[in-house]
Amino acid sequence: MVSLTIDGKDIRVAKGSTILEAAELLGITIPTLCWLRKVSPTGACRVCAVEVEGVDRPMTACNTTVKDGIKVTTQSEKLAKIRTKIMELMLVNHPLDCPVCDAGGECDLQNSCYSLGASKQEYGAVLERRTIRYDWPLIESDPNRCILCEKCVKVDHEVVGCDAIEVVNRGEATIIDTHDGKPLNCEFCGNCVGVCPTGTLISKPFKFRGRPWAFTVTKSVCPFCATGCQIEYHSRNGRVERVTSDDETYNSGNLCINGRFGYSYANSSDRLTDPVVRGAKADWNAAMGAAVAGIKDVVGKHGSDAVAGIGSPRLTNEENYLFQKLFRAGIGTNNLDSEARLGYASAQKVLRDMVGITGASAAIDAIDGAAAVLVIGCDLNAEATGMEYRVIKAATKNDAKLVLANMRGVKLKKFANSHLKYRPGSEVAVITALTKLILDEGLEDKDFVGSRVNNLAELKAALSGVSLADVAAGAGLTEADLRAAAKLVGGKKTVAVIFGADIMRCGQANDAVKALVNLALILGALGKEAGGLFPVYEKTNIQGVLNMGVVPDSLPGYQPLSAAAAFENAWGRKLPETAGKDFWQIVEGIEQGSVKALYLLGCDPIASFPEGGRIRKALEKLELLVVQDAFPGEAAKLAHVLLPASVAAEKTGTFTTIDGRLQCLGKAANPPGDAREDWDILTELYNRLTGESRAATPAGIFAEMADLVPRYAAALESGRVGTSPHAGSFELAPAVSGTVDAADPSSPFALVAGAILYHSGTTTSWSKNNLEIAPEGYIEIHPEDAAKLGIVDGAGVKISAAAGSATGQARVSAKVQPGLVFAPYHFRSMNVNSLLGRGAVFTAVKVEKA
Amino acid sequence: MAQVVFSSWGRTIVDNRAGGEVKEASFRLPTTFDGEKSLAAFMGWDGIILYDKNVDVPAMAAEYMRRVQTLYCCGKCTPGKKGTKVLADVLTAIAEGRAKEADLDTIEDLADLLTSCKCTLCQSSTVPVLDAVKHFRDDFIARLSGSRMVADRHRFIDKYTAPCMDRCPAHIDIPAYIEAIKEYRFDESLSVIRDNMPLPSVCGRVCPHPCETHCRRKNVDDAVSIMVLKRSASDYEWMHNMAPPMQPKPRKGKTVAVVGAGPAGLACAYYLALEGYPVTIYEALPEGFGGGMIAVGIPPYRQPRHLLQRDIDIIASMGVEIIYDTRIGKDISLEELKQKFDAVFLAPGAHRSKPMGVEGEDKGYKGFLKGGIDFLREAYMGRPTGMGKKVVVVGGGNTAIDCVRVALREGAEESVLLYRRSRKEMPADVWEVDGADDEGVRFEFQVLPTRIIVDENEQVTGVECLRMALGEPDASGRRRPEPVAGSEFVVECDTVIPAIGQDPDLSFIPDNLGIDITKWNTIVTKYIPLKDAAGKELKDGMGNPLVRTLITDLDGVFAGGDAEIGPLTVVACIGNAHRAARVIQRWLEEGKAYLTDDEFIEDILTNLPVYDKGEQVPWLDSVAREHQAEIHGRERAGYKNYQEVELGFVDSQAVREAERCLRCYRVAMVAV
Repeated sequence: MVSLTIDGKDIRVAKGSTILEAAELLGITIPTLCWLRKVSPTGACRVCAVEVEGVDRPMTACNTTVKDGIKVTTQSEKLAKIRTKIMELMLVNHPLDCPVCDAGGECDLQNSCYSLGASKQEYGAVLERRTIRYDWPLIESDPNRCILCEKCVKVDHEVVGCDAIEVVNRGEATIIDTHDGKPLNCEFCGNCVGVCPTGTLISKPFKFRGRPWAFTVTKSVCPFCATGCQIEYHSRNGRVERVTSDDETYNSGNLCINGRFGYSYANSSDRLTDPVVRGAKADWNAAMGAAVAGIKDVVGKHGSDAVAGIGSPRLTNEENYLFQKLFRAGIGTNNLDSEARLGYASAQKVLRDMVGITGASAAIDAIDGAAAVLVIGCDLNAEATGMEYRVIKAATKNDAKLVLANMRGVKLKKFANSHLKYRPGSEVAVITALTKLILDEGLEDKDFVGSRVNNLAELKAALSGVSLADVAAGAGLTEADLRAAAKLVGGKKTVAVIFGADIMRCGQANDAVKALVNLALILGALGKEAGGLFPVYEKTNIQGVLNMGVVPDSLPGYQPLSAAAAFENAWGRKLPETAGKDFWQIVEGIEQGSVKALYLLGCDPIASFPEGGRIRKALEKLELLVVQDAFPGEAAKLAHVLLPASVAAEKTGTFTTIDGRLQCLGKAANPPGDAREDWDILTELYNRLTGESRAATPAGIFAEMADLVPRYAAALESGRVGTSPHAGSFELAPAVSGTVDAADPSSPFALVAGAILYHSGTTTSWSKNNLEIAPEGYIEIHPEDAAKLGIVDGAGVKISAAAGSATGQARVSAKVQPGLVFAPYHFRSMNVNSLLGRGAVFTAVKVEKA
Repeated sequence: MAQVVFSSWGRTIVDNRAGGEVKEASFRLPTTFDGEKSLAAFMGWDGIILYDKNVDVPAMAAEYMRRVQTLYCCGKCTPGKKGTKVLADVLTAIAEGRAKEADLDTIEDLADLLTSCKCTLCQSSTVPVLDAVKHFRDDFIARLSGSRMVADRHRFIDKYTAPCMDRCPAHIDIPAYIEAIKEYRFDESLSVIRDNMPLPSVCGRVCPHPCETHCRRKNVDDAVSIMVLKRSASDYEWMHNMAPPMQPKPRKGKTVAVVGAGPAGLACAYYLALEGYPVTIYEALPEGFGGGMIAVGIPPYRQPRHLLQRDIDIIASMGVEIIYDTRIGKDISLEELKQKFDAVFLAPGAHRSKPMGVEGEDKGYKGFLKGGIDFLREAYMGRPTGMGKKVVVVGGGNTAIDCVRVALREGAEESVLLYRRSRKEMPADVWEVDGADDEGVRFEFQVLPTRIIVDENEQVTGVECLRMALGEPDASGRRRPEPVAGSEFVVECDTVIPAIGQDPDLSFIPDNLGIDITKWNTIVTKYIPLKDAAGKELKDGMGNPLVRTLITDLDGVFAGGDAEIGPLTVVACIGNAHRAARVIQRWLEEGKAYLTDDEFIEDILTNLPVYDKGEQVPWLDSVAREHQAEIHGRERAGYKNYQEVELGFVDSQAVREAERCLRCYRVAMVAV
C-alpha cells in the first residue's frame, strides 16, 4: 500500500495505482477525456494534468503511478488555465457541425468544453480538411471531428484484437484510419463507435435516425450468443434503432457485430405479422382454434405421444418453461427436445455425471485471470465473441499461456503460443495425448489430483498404451507440437479449458468431452478463483432450454420424471410417466407414423439441423405442423398453423447463460403487425387446451417456475443459477481411445460446417446490417487443394455429400488445412447443414468446380 | 577558426552580433557539414548556435517548426498536435509578413502550454523558437511589417533523434519500439527494431546497451531497461510462432559476397537482401555454427543457440545464401570473390587471441591454452578444449568472464580469474562479473601474472603472480597499477587461459590488392575528414575517423565489423554494417560510394551528443526499473548446464517497464 495526499486529503491505495484511481477513491473528480478504464492509459488529451509537489511540470493523473508521500493538487488556477487552453487547442479547426452531428447531445467534447470553461478561442490555424469516409460499411468516419483520444484504436487492438484501425500520418494531418487506407474491413463489432467521445466514428444504420435524447433506453441482454452481453436498446416509435452497452456492465460495454448491429433482424420486412392457417391469413382466434383443435384431434386419434415439440434457445426461460408445461400438463407427453440434442445436451450430461455441473464450472470472468487457457474445438470468435475478448485479455494483459486446438487457423491463433491444427476425427486422440504428456512430465496439479481425484493410477495405466507417435501422425501434428502444448497448459496455477461445437459435435463427442474433463481435472482447472471448464454454444439461452426441462427424459431443473408430484401439485394436472422421444426419435416417429403432430417453437430444423432434407420430408408427412416463429423460415412454409411471434427486444423475461448468469430482458419494441409475444401465445394455447383461464405475465411465470426449479428463486437477487463442481472426489473417465478415426480414402475432403463471426444461427440472416457484411455463404479451401482442383478465389465450388450438395464461392485460404473445406452454416440458401449427418459437424465430401 | 555569432545552447547566451570583444563558445560540432559545406547554424532542443550571421533566423525558426509539425509530431497529444500546428502557422505567417506583433505573444504562451506535452518532441521544439523570438525579436518585428525580406541561400537539413537512439550504434528507433510495447504491440515493436537490428534476439540479450547509459530516465531515477524490452519484442514473435513479416524487394541482378557470417556480415547481407540483392556469405566454420563472435564468443547460457539460429534462418530466408566451412584465402581467394561478385563486403571479425606477455607462454606447455576466444569456440563446438580441473583465466573483459563461467560448465573444479586492476575497473560488464561471482568463480584482483610454472612433463602447475598497487598519477592523471616488490605468490592450477583480447586475422588479404591495413591490424576504409573549431579531426570512440564510407582503397570492396572498427560490440558491428549496406547499394546503383545528408547529421549528432547527463528532468519517480527473472545459484553453472540464465520479462512486466520511457524525441536542424 502507498500513502499519499490529494488536495489535502490522505489516502492509502494499492501499489501501482494511478493518481486518477486514488482520487476516485477519495471522491475527487479529475477531468478526463481520453481515459478509458478498460484499455491502457493513453495520456493524449492532457486535461487530467495535476500538480505533484516537487515535480516541476504537470503530471497526467491517468497514467502517473502514485508514490509514497506525494502531495497532489488537482485544482488550481494554473491547472484550470492549462485545461481550458487545451480545450481551446482541441477546438482549433474542429468543425462546428454540432447541429447535424450524430454525437450532438452525447458528445464528451461538448461536455468537456462546457465543464472546463472553454468559451472562447484564442488560437487559430490554417484550416485543413480531411476526407469523410462514407465508403466504409456500417461505420462512418469523419476525421475532422476526431480529437485523437485513441480510444477506438485501443479498444480495437486491446479488447477486440482486430487491428483494423490505427493512428496514421503526422502532425495536424494525424487521423484514425485503416492501415492501408482502404475501406474498413474488420469484425464490425462497432466497439470503436461505442467508445468514440465525438461524432468521428458513427453507426451508419443509426445516422439521422433521431437525436440521442429522443430515444427510450431499455436495459436488456443480447439475444445472440451464450456470452449474454448486457445491452441497451435505443428505441423510438416502438422500433429499435440502435444497441449500445455501458462500460460498467459485466461485458465492459464490449459487443460484437451481432450484439451491436444484429438488431436490424427485428426490423426486417420479412417478419411474420399475421397468423396463417393452412396457407390463409387468419385472425388469432382462428389460428389458436386451429392449433388446439388439431392437437386435440391428433391426441384423440393417436394418443398424446403422437404430439411432439421442439423448443428454442432464442426464447426466454419463461417461454421454454411454458412450452414444456404445455406439452407435459396440457397435452400429456414428454416428446420434447431442442437443438441441444445436436451436441450440447450430451456434453452437459457428461459434465453433470463427472463433476456435477450443468454448464460452465465458473462464471466466464474467471477466464480473465487464468494462467493458462486451452481453447479446443471452438472458434470463439464466431461462437462466443465476448468470451474471446476475455481470452485475449488473459493472454495479452494477464500473461496467460494460450493453446489453441482447432482444425482451422481461426482468429485466436495470433494470440496463441501453440496452435494444434488437428485433423477431423483426431479430437479424442489429441486430448488423450495431452493428458498423457502432462502426466508423463509431472505437470498435473498434484495437490488437486492428490486430494480430489480417485483413480489417477487407472488412467495412467490406460494411457501407458497410447503412442504419441501414432497420435501425432493421425492428427497431422508432431510430437514436439503436442509436447510444447502440454508444457504450456501444464503446471499452471489456474487453467481455463474452453470447448465448443467442434468437440460437442465431433463423431466421438461423448468420449471427447470425457477425455477433456479428465484433462481439466488433472490440470486442476476446477474450483479455483480463476480458470475453469467452459462449454461454449453459439445461441443465447441453450442453458435455459435445458434448465427448463425442454428434454424428453427429465422435468425442469433436471428432476427425474418420477419426481412429478411437485409439478402435478403446482399445475393441477397429471404428468406423463414415461420418457418421451428425443429429436431424432421424433423424426423417426414421424417417418414411421407414430408422431402425427409437431410444434416448432422458434426454430427451423430444416435449415439449421443436420439432415435437413430428411427433416423436410418428415415435416411434409405431418398431420399437423404448428410453427411459432418471428420469421418465415423453411419449416414455416410447411406449417398448417403459423403463429407470428416476437423477438427478444419485444418482450420481457429472462435468459440463462451457460455459466449460470440469470439476466433480464427489457421490452424495447413492439412486435410488428399482429405478432404476439411467445409467452402470451403459449399461455393462451395452454388455457385453451386445458380449459383454464389463467392470465399470465413474465414475472408471474418466473415466480411459478422459480418455485419448482432449484436456484432460480434466489437468482433474481444473486443473478446466479450456475452450479459448482461437487464437493467430493472426482472419478476420471476410464481410458479413452488414443486412436484416430481413419479418413475415408474414397472422399479425400472433409467439410466442416460452422459459425462465422458475422452471423448467429440463421437468425441474423434476416438482419440487413449483418448481410451488408456477410451476404452469403462461401467455401473455404486450402491453396494447395484449390490449385489441384483448378479453383481460384471467388470461383464457384460444389461440395457433395451423401445427403446432398451445396454450391458457393471459393475462398482460398491457408486458414483451413489441406483436405478440409469449411463453410458457414448460417445461410438458408446454401444450407450446408443439410449435408451433415446427425453425429458430427463435419462430413466427407467431394469437392469440384461448380 | 569558426566564430560563434550567437548561441543559446545549453541555456548559456553567447552573443557576438554587436561586435566588440568576442565571447568564446565551443561545441562538439564540425566546421563543415560534409567536409565542404560550412555549418552556418544549428537549431535544436537546447537552443540555437549561429555561426553565420547571414542566416535568416525567423525563417529558420518557421521552417524548423513546420518540419516538427508536419514530419515528426506524432499527433498523439493535444498540445503537441494542435500547439505545433498553431505555432508553425504563426511562424510562417510572420516569416511571410502576414502577422501581428501580438502573435509573438502566442508563441510564448504556447511554449508554456507545451510543457504539458506527452513527450519531449514538440515541447523541446519550442526551445530554439522561443530563443529566436527572444533574442532575434527585431528580426521578427521587421518581418511583421514585411519591410525586411531576406533571400537566405542556406539549405536546412534536419534529423529526428533521441538520446538513446543517437547513442545506439545501430541507431534503432528505441522510443518507437518501446512505445509499441507500451501499446501491447510487440509485433510492431519488432518491426521497428528490425529496421536497424537484424539480430533482435541477440541484441535483446547480450548487447552492452550503451543506449541505457544515455537514457534520459536516468536523470529521474534509473534507465529504462531498453535491452530486455528488445528481447521481449523478439521473444514474442518466437513464442507465438509468428512468421516474420518482412518481404524483400524484387530480386536485382547485381550480386554481393560477404566474408564472415558474424553480426556485421549478417547485417549487411540482410539489408542488401531486403533491397533485392542476391547475397552470398562465406563462413569459415561449419554449418550450425554461424553467427561469428556471437556464436563462438558468447556462451549459450547468455545467448541460446536455437534463438541465434532462428535469427540467422530469418536472414537466410530473405534470400541470403550462407556457404559454410569455407575460409577465404584458403578455400577460395579474395581475388576470386572480387571477380565473381559485383561487390564484396569484408567482415571477418577479430578471432585471433592476443599474447599475454608472460614468461613461458610461447613454450607450448601442456595446459597453457591458446587463448580465451579459442577456448570458448572449442567448448561451443563441443570439441576437446584441453582444459583440466583447476583453471586460471587471465584478463578482465567479457571474454575472460565468459571463460571462467564456461570452465565451470565444462567441469572445472576451480575457476579463477586473474586481473591486474580492481573489480571496478574491469572492462567486463558489471552484470557479467556478478554472474560469475554468483556461480562460484574466484577472483584475484590487482595481480600480475609473471611466469608460468610447469612440472617435469611441461604440464602447467601454476602461475606466479605479483600483487599490484596504484602508482603515482601519470601525465593523464590516471594512476597506473604497479607491481609491489616482493609480493610474489603462486596460483596453483593445471590450466591457464589468456583472455587479454583479440584482433583480426587479415592474412587472407593479399598485399598486392591495394587494401590498406592499420597498425592495429584493422582494414582501412575511406572517410570524410571533419574538424572541430580548433582544427582537430573528429574521431569515433575507437580512434577511427568519425565519418567513414566503409569502402576500402580497392573499388568494389567494402569492410566493416570488428575488422574495420577494431574489436568492439555486436551492436557497433551491426550499425557499421547497415551503413555499409547502404553505401554498397549506392555504389552498385550509381557507381559512387558516398554518404547522405542524413548520415552526416547522424554522425555529427552522435559526436555532439544528444544526451545531456546534467539535464534536470522534472518527472515523478514513482515506478522503479523492472528486472528480468534470473536463475540463481551455482547449480546453473553445473556440468554441461548451458540453460539460459536470464529469463526476460513476462509481457505485463515489459509493458510496465515500457511505460517508464519518457519518449525523448527531439529534432535537430542545421543550416549549411
